[in-house]
Amino acid sequence: MKSGEKNGSARRHKKTEWVKHFFIVAILAVEFLPFYMMIQISLKDNHIFLENTWLPSPPSTWVWQNYADAFRLIIPYVANTVVVAVSSTVLGLALSILAAYFFARYRMPFGGIIWSGFLVLMLLPGVANIVPLFNLLKSLGLLNTLWALIALGIAGSQVFAIFVLRNFIEDIPRDLFEAAEMDGASHLQQLWSVVIPMSAPIIGTLAILKFLGSWNDFLMPLLVLRDPQLFTIGVGLIYLDGEYVKQWGLIMASFFVASLPLIILFLFMMKLFIRGLSNGALKG
Amino acid sequence: MVPSVSNRKALLEWKLYLFIVPSLLVVAVFCYYPAISAIYHSFFRWSGGDTQEFVGLKNFKDALSDGVFWSSFITIGILIVANLFKMIPSIFLAVLIHRLKSDRMQYWYRVILVLPMIVPGLVTLFIWKFFFDPNFGTLNGILQATHLDTLLATLDSYFHWGVFQEGVPTAWLGQPSLIIPSLIIWGFPWIGAVGVLIFLAGLQSIGTEVYEAAELDGVNPLQKFLYIEFPLILTQVRLSLVLLMIGTLQGYGLQFLLLGESGGPGGRGMVPGLWMFNRAFVAGEFGYGCALGMFLFVFVLLLTWINNKFVRISK
Repeated sequence: MKSGEKNGSARRHKKTEWVKHFFIVAILAVEFLPFYMMIQISLKDNHIFLENTWLPSPPSTWVWQNYADAFRLIIPYVANTVVVAVSSTVLGLALSILAAYFFARYRMPFGGIIWSGFLVLMLLPGVANIVPLFNLLKSLGLLNTLWALIALGIAGSQVFAIFVLRNFIEDIPRDLFEAAEMDGASHLQQLWSVVIPMSAPIIGTLAILKFLGSWNDFLMPLLVLRDPQLFTIGVGLIYLDGEYVKQWGLIMASFFVASLPLIILFLFMMKLFIRGLSNGALKG
Repeated sequence: MVPSVSNRKALLEWKLYLFIVPSLLVVAVFCYYPAISAIYHSFFRWSGGDTQEFVGLKNFKDALSDGVFWSSFITIGILIVANLFKMIPSIFLAVLIHRLKSDRMQYWYRVILVLPMIVPGLVTLFIWKFFFDPNFGTLNGILQATHLDTLLATLDSYFHWGVFQEGVPTAWLGQPSLIIPSLIIWGFPWIGAVGVLIFLAGLQSIGTEVYEAAELDGVNPLQKFLYIEFPLILTQVRLSLVLLMIGTLQGYGLQFLLLGESGGPGGRGMVPGLWMFNRAFVAGEFGYGCALGMFLFVFVLLLTWINNKFVRISK
């Protein structure tokens, strides 16, 4: 009798589990629709696309030419974007870590004032100063260069990164710093041997977020870059999308190629990414 | 706790100040200077060149009577409210995943959830633009396949919207009255992977014994959500709310890409940020653009203040 009851409730549990799985899979399936459309259209030419928009075409008719063209078209843009995204991520985070260490190590005189100065900046809407920013870049002679984007990338999320890192570094046990100091470690050495190993997960998460932001940016590149050779992916895709007769297959293949570096990045960092976002993101 | 230092120790540790200098310098040049320059130039007639003419408060007066500007705030208001509702699917999904018995499945769903993030946001935007295409677009395709287009056409002839017609493909981004609905539909089912992960992190603090106790009390799934789960993710929900509202108020990339610099047909997709961009870079009235930026700044500040006042975010 008792075991029968148990079985019954276990079966009921199974059933509710399936309901949950069903809903999750349904939502995720719709979420993947853009991805699916991109992949399957990327292998069609306009003729096949018009006849059959929805289903993947049979492998024998796949138009690999789309990818050949897309690579030729997009790779220079990808290269430019990689340069901008990597340099602004690495340099930007390096500056943030230094600054966060300053705030978190000791309460230095004037530290409080500088801190509030930084925080005010979080309230300033970026959109309000886009016009003077454009003029600043013009007078610095940075218009139509990748340096402009790198500089903006470094400055861009500086405050947010310092904010998050400071909280993290403050949680590192003080003893570690003191022990390092006993051994005669300078501040830079302490930074290198204590702070960076201890806060690696959050640094990784911040790096990914910064890299993604840089990768997706198109407003500043659109304003700054004129020379097609310097186009980043954002600008490049806007021009591609604006063409009069649209080769949907080619466009989708280009979209896919533009996503490739992120796909590779993701494959390597998946674990770090999910852990960082689930645990570290809200520590600040 | 971070130790305070005496002035003498601070003098000894002066090198520490060098750590903050690079960051401070970059921020001063690329964040503070433009902001101050924006305030300064909002009092000038300025077309971006070397010549500028002081006009006092004229730009601000013009902005106050600028019909496009204020109607763009109505548009953004609608979009902000819509965005609040768009958080519901993410919460729903997070709770569903959290309630799964198997930890392994929870992990794998997380992985699958993050996967779409590898498609750059920009590409997603363009794919959605394709979805809205009247002739080949996915949205019209789905409506046709499910015969919802006939239903919409029938509703139209009944309510006289003058938008949907039988047998005529709907131009989602080409009709003034459809632009705001299109902007709202955009991104369906509105799952933000980062949001879901953050909600899941909040839910993790619920121990299984709480669920077991609730089950003994015969609590139904909805009550479980209302009394156990929702209170625990309230902090995260509020935080997302605040970020979402401020982000939406400032944002104009979506409207710019989908509709162009003039906000689409009839300018119905015009939002404040886009209008500022338009005045400055299309009309060449940089001074006026700065003044519009100041108004936007005040609104963002106001929103932030309201949030801080009424929405407490605990660490």
